[in-house]
Amino acid sequence: MKIEERLSLLNYKIDKSYEHITVNPSICETCPDHFCTFACPAKCYSLIDGTLNFKYEDCVECGTCDLACSHGSVAWTNTKGGHGVKYKFG
Amino acid sequence: MSEFDVIVVGAGPAGASAAIKLASAKVNVLLVDRADPPGSKNVSGGVLWGDSLTQVAPDWEKGPVERYVEAKGVSFLTKDSRISLDFRSKKFGEYKSGYTVLRTKFDAWLAKKAKDSGVMLVSGVTVDKIAMKDGKAVGVEQGGETITSDAVILAEGANSRIAYDSGLKRKPTDRNTALGVKEIIKLPEKTITERFGLTSPKMGFASEFVLGFLEGGVRAGGFLYTNKESLSIGAVISMAELRKNNKTYSFNVIEQFKEHPFVAPLLEGGRVEEYSAHLVPEGGISADSLNGNGYMIAGDAAGFTFSNGLVLQGMNYAIVSGIVAAESFLEKKEKGIQAGANFANYTENLSKTFVMKDMMNFKGIDKLTWSKYVHQTLPSIAEEAMLNMFSENGQPKKHLYKILTKSMSSHEESKLGMAMELLKMLRRM
Repeated sequence: MKIEERLSLLNYKIDKSYEHITVNPSICETCPDHFCTFACPAKCYSLIDGTLNFKYEDCVECGTCDLACSHGSVAWTNTKGGHGVKYKFG
Repeated sequence: MSEFDVIVVGAGPAGASAAIKLASAKVNVLLVDRADPPGSKNVSGGVLWGDSLTQVAPDWEKGPVERYVEAKGVSFLTKDSRISLDFRSKKFGEYKSGYTVLRTKFDAWLAKKAKDSGVMLVSGVTVDKIAMKDGKAVGVEQGGETITSDAVILAEGANSRIAYDSGLKRKPTDRNTALGVKEIIKLPEKTITERFGLTSPKMGFASEFVLGFLEGGVRAGGFLYTNKESLSIGAVISMAELRKNNKTYSFNVIEQFKEHPFVAPLLEGGRVEEYSAHLVPEGGISADSLNGNGYMIAGDAAGFTFSNGLVLQGMNYAIVSGIVAAESFLEKKEKGIQAGANFANYTENLSKTFVMKDMMNFKGIDKLTWSKYVHQTLPSIAEEAMLNMFSENGQPKKHLYKILTKSMSSHEESKLGMAMELLKMLRRM
């Protein structure tokens, strides 16, 4: 099953006014490994024509990317006001 | 005068247990969780060894538990084979045993228990930081405001944002991190009971796997648990190995597990209902100190999980650590507590329980559970030995010992070296 299909099963309350994770494009540009693209279980990180693309909306808030990035690009905070992923089963 | 006696951050098993214990002693508690409803961001494999929960929620077995674990398995998977130990016992009932649970339901139930016992429960509110004053925790900061308390119990889970941001804990290394990726697969109750050979629809099967066949040599453990009308299946991936590989997508590891020739039939006809992911602390205590002036750290946030390959546990450690944190507060309160008092008694009290004893006795076991021996050498030796033992090729039979040593000699490591590793393994487990 494709990851996109699996993610489509999830409920989110997306916070349009606050991106709880941000990346620093100038660091990602010169990154030798882009390990985030392999580590993130929600495929929030992908390489498009060699450029790192990040979207916070699909994030399941595991915190993996923050530990995976060893170059200091990822700034991770908790979602606020009950926003973000809402599991039914967990 | 503080607004609350205790603020508990995180309404998982650790936080809710702590809060209930405190409220039942007439302590003024605020339990705050960033999920709304509480439990809706919580994930775990799903076997609750909940004996300790009896202390705070005596009727927990009547709560939203799924199935009672009467069958426990451990399997090694190679590309073509599954080598399993499958243990089923009527005697499980006489021992402290486990139930499969779905955390979103169970944690919401436990949080409600807390509320009913007098805890002020606030959900959908994110604590930013522990409020510190003169080196003492004096409450929590939220949205630029400080809510004060005599003590803070930090039970925020494995992704310990507040502890990092408050300088109470350093971010874990790869060695201390695994990534759990999970799916819930819907199947009819009857199908599950029959397929797993269970004695009734109330009974469940829980199995751990060593996934010794993954592409690129990525190391991961697997789990498969039966719920009432669904299966919980997942992979717990070593962060260090995933990084070393840097080719395998974490979300595809679980798919490789699901597609294994002797796993796929167990899932047949099932529909994926949910996908989730969660960090798993590895290697024991993760905070420099479990307590400080005005605060205690409990549950996953403290690194209280246990895994030796045969057993994966965390919620029971969370519950006990939460209860002990509450008791340690009560102990201090009896003596007339000052805001920001040092809770060294928490670490002392915890060291008398199985939580700390297991952390100490099994320190470094992660080296073994993630070793090449467990993930590659051992499964392949076992596979070869089983094939030799359980096949008929018109030749005279050999003694098991001969079969084993022959299987071992086809590996690059010396037999003696392997025997030593096995011995070391058994002693550590």
